Amino acid sequence: MRAEIRRIQEMMEREAYVTDPSIATAVHLAMVLGKPLLVEGHAGVGKTEIAKVLARMLDTRLIRLQCYEGIDAAAALYEWNYPKQLLHIRLSERGVTSVEEQEAAIFGSEFLLERPLLQALTADVAPVLLIDEVDRSDEEFEAFLLEVLSDFQVTIPEIGTISARQRPHVVLTSNRSRELSEALRRRCLFLWIGHPSLDKELRIVRAKVPGIGERLAREIAAFMRSVREMRLAKQPGTAETLDWAAALVALHADELDETLVRETLGCFLKEEADHRALAASLDEGRLPAMASL
Amino acid sequence: MVGRRDVPTAVVRLCRALRDRGVAVTPAESVSAVAALDHLDIADRAELRRALRVVLARRREDIAIVDELFDAMWAPAAGAGGTQPPRVPRPAIATRPPSPPRAASVWVDRWAPAGQADDEGEEIPLRAPSDRESLRRRDLASLAGEDVDAMLRVARRLARRLARRPSRRWRAARGGASLDLRRTVRWSLRTAGETAELARRERKVRRTSLVIACDVSGSMELYSRFLLQFLFAMQSAFARVETFVFGTRLSRATGDLRTPEWEEALARLSAGVHDWAGGTRIGASLDALARDWPAVLDRRTIVIVLSDGWDTGDPALLGDAMAAIRARAGKVIWLNPLLGSPDYRPLARGMQSALPHVDVFAPAHDLASLESLACHLVI
Repeated sequence: MRAEIRRIQEMMEREAYVTDPSIATAVHLAMVLGKPLLVEGHAGVGKTEIAKVLARMLDTRLIRLQCYEGIDAAAALYEWNYPKQLLHIRLSERGVTSVEEQEAAIFGSEFLLERPLLQALTADVAPVLLIDEVDRSDEEFEAFLLEVLSDFQVTIPEIGTISARQRPHVVLTSNRSRELSEALRRRCLFLWIGHPSLDKELRIVRAKVPGIGERLAREIAAFMRSVREMRLAKQPGTAETLDWAAALVALHADELDETLVRETLGCFLKEEADHRALAASLDEGRLPAMASL
Repeated sequence: MVGRRDVPTAVVRLCRALRDRGVAVTPAESVSAVAALDHLDIADRAELRRALRVVLARRREDIAIVDELFDAMWAPAAGAGGTQPPRVPRPAIATRPPSPPRAASVWVDRWAPAGQADDEGEEIPLRAPSDRESLRRRDLASLAGEDVDAMLRVARRLARRLARRPSRRWRAARGGASLDLRRTVRWSLRTAGETAELARRERKVRRTSLVIACDVSGSMELYSRFLLQFLFAMQSAFARVETFVFGTRLSRATGDLRTPEWEEALARLSAGVHDWAGGTRIGASLDALARDWPAVLDRRTIVIVLSDGWDTGDPALLGDAMAAIRARAGKVIWLNPLLGSPDYRPLARGMQSALPHVDVFAPAHDLASLESLACHLVI
């Protein structure tokens, strides 16, 4: 294994992000090739966390752009500060200024409100730009994003073209709620994060839930594994595992038992139908993880 | 034994092989892949493989293909940790049977001949004798034609009928309810900074979106031509349609259908990486739709399932899948071509378990039946 990749893995682990060589390799390549990293995976597997850890690791700023339906350039890139512009016009009325002068004045950078994308381009030290849940935005926004991600520069009609001072480290996340365009995918490196292996999940629980007993941690990881093998409407992610583990620690549990599972299953199953499915499995003793307890 | 210097060549070959398998690897990716080699320990096979996944895969489905081709080209080293670069890679690729089903011959072949019901659900052999291939190719070619125009007219009518709703995006509009400050400030410059006129804006409108899942198994063969035309026409009449086709497995066909030319769409469908099969597993396929494509389904989506309901899988699975889809979508419409015949009763077990979760159950055997769909396309 390349030393840099091992070092990234170690640094990520030090930031309490339990990782594996695949993730470290992807982060390494994104950094050396200067390409955006598109991370896909189920909810709660730690996609967003990659960007946060990367920012801490590089000791740089994390700039987050949360995408949503209807997000547009004004919310993502820049907006003019209209009240300030109007005020400026009003105050400068007495002075004799031409339309051109006035226009030049109010469309200057001090009237510009920088939104995340522009912040990322104008930062002095390369920041980590997290474009979260890009699948929630619409196709028009995606096309706009393409422009920014391919050249790392944007054009503001009144000011001109702004190029990135330092190319930001870009991480995009997607839940696959919508298929992203081929063009966007082509610009990015791709990382798929599946549900963690038993061992990895165990390490995550140990790292993230302080004070958890070894036995309970093992039982939780094994139990989640068998839960994910069930056919559920919404499979619990690692985030749910951690919620549940924290809840069990708060209840001073040292080990799992059936009653405890029934009482706390709301921590990791968020759909009523799934509750019923799990209860039925427990009734029939079909969960392998319970059998071993 | 090939030396280290050959790794870049092997990577380029891998890229070409991926292209043959339908993974969209452009020369730019090949360049990235080779550039990545400088930053890797190329003697570490596992690391090389992980890195090539990151650079060459575009989506989750590609990962398995990258792995498979990688394994075919890089034999695991005898010693631990080392790489034994490509063992004569070219033939390894060339001698692979032209799998997976990409060619028109294969998918058409998978439409079992009429009369051979697929109820047995058994796998039909993948490769067909060449004479049958050409015969079936002809079938496919005859799908082109004048009927497409009629179908397009129907689709446009349906498109207009789909409910409109305001989106979150804005557009400039004279009588808009909201102020457009950006343009107002601009306009005020014309009048020496005096705001003489207010610019206004309004919400754009957006149509409801559609998800169409079409059964392309053997038992539906009689309607294949008609239904493919319908899929194509809907895709051209609307921006927001996602089309899926399924036999034993679900695959997305939206990209293939997104072209103005019917012949082109047909050619792309044939060449696409759809896993066409003779059997029918409606339950598993719809389950995959609900599970793997979580957000194509939302409250503003109308789901249209085109199938005869002959399912060889577990009816309970179909029922559950339909319930999951129904819970998330705005409306579920099941179009059954068989319903056009007056003495048809939906007694197939699959149909029985799906019906409780369907809002509209309607026939789809001719243009008129599709036209009458218009009144249902409102959420």
